[in-house]
Amino acid sequence: MTEFDRIEPAASEIFAVLDELLRSPKSVAERARAAGDLRPLFLAALGALLVGAGIFGATLATSRGGAQLLYSGVKLPLALLASLLLVVPAFHAISAGLGRPLGFSGMIGLMLAAAGRGALVLIALSPVIWLCFDRGLGYHPGVLLASLCYALAGLAALEVVLRGIGFDLRGLVIVSVFGLVVFATGGQTAWMMRPFLGRPSAQHVPFLRHRESSFVDALAQSARSSVGIYSTERALERASGPRAPLNEEDRDESR
Amino acid sequence: MIDDPVLSFSAPARQTLGARLTSPAVEPVPAELLRLGTGLGLSALYGLALGARVGGAALLAHAGLATAGLALVGVLGLPPLFVLLALVNAPVSPQALFSAGARAVASTGFVLAGLAPSAALLAVTIESPDAAAFVTRAGLTLAGFIGLYQLVISVRASLSHAPFGTRAKCTAFLGAFCIFAFILAARVWSVLPILKGAA
Repeated sequence: MTEFDRIEPAASEIFAVLDELLRSPKSVAERARAAGDLRPLFLAALGALLVGAGIFGATLATSRGGAQLLYSGVKLPLALLASLLLVVPAFHAISAGLGRPLGFSGMIGLMLAAAGRGALVLIALSPVIWLCFDRGLGYHPGVLLASLCYALAGLAALEVVLRGIGFDLRGLVIVSVFGLVVFATGGQTAWMMRPFLGRPSAQHVPFLRHRESSFVDALAQSARSSVGIYSTERALERASGPRAPLNEEDRDESR
Repeated sequence: MIDDPVLSFSAPARQTLGARLTSPAVEPVPAELLRLGTGLGLSALYGLALGARVGGAALLAHAGLATAGLALVGVLGLPPLFVLLALVNAPVSPQALFSAGARAVASTGFVLAGLAPSAALLAVTIESPDAAAFVTRAGLTLAGFIGLYQLVISVRASLSHAPFGTRAKCTAFLGAFCIFAFILAARVWSVLPILKGAA
């Protein structure tokens, strides 16, 4: 038996799982919950996650080019994988606490399958993103477009999770609560690994930015800005380093 | 599109730790004590994760306080709840209430332990003390609600054959207990250094 004869069946099995991931989330969820031989599912989903997120990360970086292509292609899969590792125990505990206990290996299979399906959707969206950047899409619209892609991929992943946990009111509550944990943890992980797009004007491309604020702070600040409350003092501090506090008149103007 | 019928849910053949801790079955007292102790021990993991923000002795302080909040709610809340339920002749035995309490504490501890990895990341990497406190409160609130949910469904299951008046009074007592438990836990957990702005 040649090396090819040994690899070929395993490869076809993995491709079959990838096909199943896209076409039949219900059977993938059942397979994960049954907790039988999950190796093909693990391998296929992990491969899809690494390759899909890598391609999408590199595509995002086409707006900047250069070393950013490599950095984003490596960082996005890492961010997704790290988030996944951190939130699986929470999913396990929340589903058990709300009356839907699942085996831990089945839970990992379910989460990997969901993430893999989401990553396959990201692959499908990558050419569109690339074309938009190639046609001159700016930095901020690019961030919005990337967020939209993440949301679409998240919806595709959500279907697998819902199928696994049970598609009813209790399942929806579990997935919603878990979604908040994923949002906070995944958001912070991605925040720590910025930049993914890279500003075209930046001369130097850092692998990671210096530690700066946090995802939760950024959300709070964006929420304040959206209702017209701007933190001028903080922006000035960032621009020119620490400085004396503004006097009362300046504070009034900054509001 | 999601158009297939809903999957039927059945518990796995071999019970996981989560299934054992949250099981509605009333076990003998030693088994319930074990469940209670496991829940309290697991809640300490969340405290350790929070303590990682400062490190050193703060690890133990947070672990101890996270567990203490949960233990105090059980010690100070469950005996009065039993007295009130007995006064309205609710068909809830001391052992059943103890089991429900153990299940609630175990569920809370299990959820806190599950949140611990995320909490550790957020506690260590979030710069602003306010944001760290917000995330900490969110985790404690979520776990606390799940624990109270487990307690309420356990007690209500025992009341299924009770007269309507008894069930209504018991529901009111359970509601009052939930408010008391929330305020007491918030009081104890408010002394966590991370909630007082430790950076």
